[in-house]
Amino acid sequence: MKKILIVDDDPNIVDYLTTLFEDNGFLTFAARNVKEAMELARKEIPDLITLDLEMPEEWGPRFYRKISQEKNLKNIPIIVISGFPGCTHAIGKAVACLQKPFDRDELLKIVKDNLK
Amino acid sequence: MANEILIIDKDIRHAKALGIYLKRKKMRVYTAKNSDDILKLFDRINIKIVLADPSCFSKDFIGILKKIKKTYSEVQIVIMATPEQFDYAMAYLKDEAVHYLLKPVKSAALDMALKQAKTWIAVNSKLLRYEKKMQVLKQAQNLFQQLFDEVPCYISVQDKNFCLTATNKMFKRDFGDEIGSHCYEVYKHRVLPCEKCPVADTFKDALSHSTEEVVTSKSGKQHNVITWTAPVKDSHGRITQVMEMSTNISQIRQLQDHLTSLGLMIGSMSHGIKGMLTALDGGIYQLETGLAKGDKKRTDHAFDQIKQIAGRIRKMVLEILYYAKSRELVYQTVEIKKMAQKAAEDAMAMAIKKGIRFKLKIAPSLGTIQVDPNWIHATLVNFLENAIDACIYDLNKKNQFVKFDIFEKSPDRICFVIQDNGMGMDQETKEKMFTLFFTSKGSQGTGLGLFIANRVICQHGGTIEVESEPGKGSCFNISLPRKKPEQFCIVDPHHEEIT
Repeated sequence: MKKILIVDDDPNIVDYLTTLFEDNGFLTFAARNVKEAMELARKEIPDLITLDLEMPEEWGPRFYRKISQEKNLKNIPIIVISGFPGCTHAIGKAVACLQKPFDRDELLKIVKDNLK
Repeated sequence: MANEILIIDKDIRHAKALGIYLKRKKMRVYTAKNSDDILKLFDRINIKIVLADPSCFSKDFIGILKKIKKTYSEVQIVIMATPEQFDYAMAYLKDEAVHYLLKPVKSAALDMALKQAKTWIAVNSKLLRYEKKMQVLKQAQNLFQQLFDEVPCYISVQDKNFCLTATNKMFKRDFGDEIGSHCYEVYKHRVLPCEKCPVADTFKDALSHSTEEVVTSKSGKQHNVITWTAPVKDSHGRITQVMEMSTNISQIRQLQDHLTSLGLMIGSMSHGIKGMLTALDGGIYQLETGLAKGDKKRTDHAFDQIKQIAGRIRKMVLEILYYAKSRELVYQTVEIKKMAQKAAEDAMAMAIKKGIRFKLKIAPSLGTIQVDPNWIHATLVNFLENAIDACIYDLNKKNQFVKFDIFEKSPDRICFVIQDNGMGMDQETKEKMFTLFFTSKGSQGTGLGLFIANRVICQHGGTIEVESEPGKGSCFNISLPRKKPEQFCIVDPHHEEIT
């Protein structure tokens, strides 16, 4: 079973993504800040990460910089899901950038394409 | 021309002779047989001169003459009397007759008397014309003074030294009756003339000039004004004074500031709104799939979630509405105990759900307070919810609590203390927490809550003291006056945040 790490500070959105991914046969972990996300990423080595940009304390791009420096984690595909337009500039290597509120089917398609 | 003459003489031959003489002099001659005739004649014809023997008709003839003079003031009366009646006539008519002639009348004397009467008539009519003109002039002057006074602008007239020589009503109302003072002293409390002065420019080139200024009224209030000048010239066309007209545009400027910050707000909050919409999508997804699968647990959870998100959206919309339209406070006298209990009840539900202890302590017999209950309630709930959030966000403690203490600080001030042992605030958060659009809650905050709360407390003449330490918790000490303050301390928050 493929593992997805969800990073978002809004518990309602975490809940949404968790249910959505689990309904489609993925295993999920959720983190609501960068610190938690780093711990979980190192422990679980997920197959894919969804990342919010604006969070209290540290923001999404800092998490991206941190995992880019770790050998085991730097190749994990990242999907940015945030309220900001034009997030490609924030995280250059993201496989996709979705704006909230996102299209559910589009997200699932991107996830499945990246986890083949 | 004063050619209509009425001859009144009981001596018919004498009268006839006079008539012939006067007709030869191109005068229109009328005669009257009795006193009724006289009055009827005056109704019909514009008689200018009356040549009369006062011994005519009745004893009251002099009374009739007096009446005529009173009614037709422009009529000139020439009296002709026999030597016996001469003194009597003079004593009674006095200066109401323009001339007195001895009977039988001699032509030279009559000519002179008529000439004098005509001169009087000419002078009188001239005076009448002038009087009418003066009246028109006076009316015009009144009208202009009224216009000058009632124009909804500040108008001042200044000489070459920028001394005020005239000001209108609105100017006097806001800047005082300062005739003789310098414009720059009164408008700007300066000791020297302003560097760029439209009045000086108009003295130089006789053209109208305009500037935008900030002036300070006698009460210390600042106004944004647009100023126009116009030269005032004397009869030789020299500029002796300059009129300055200032229109108050403070409201427009405030509106502009407000619109700017509204734009800023929409921009900064669109992120939060998008987050909520996504969460709402999530709730709907779970509800749909829960129902499809007949999974009651999931359906219930979805309901709960949607309810919670609806609450968040409601709060945000209300905050936007408050900010979009700043309202006047509506003061009411309310019971402090009831007000505090109501705020506590609203916040407590959330605390209990999250397993946070809520301690409410209301000192006995607090009495009443004058506030706008709606805004104070919203503000207290906001502080309480923040305290609960601070506990929720704090992941390191188990025994979390929020304390809400209400007590009398002094007879005229009431304290509302909200304390939590949550995550606390660092120096930066503490400094910025009341700033518009600042939030430490990421996408969950609008950055409006504490900004509005601070403004509401300020408007009520209250104060907020904050103590906080990261990891240990925060304490907000809100102090409100028991009675409505005489003067509001309204710091204009838009101004501070935008500039």
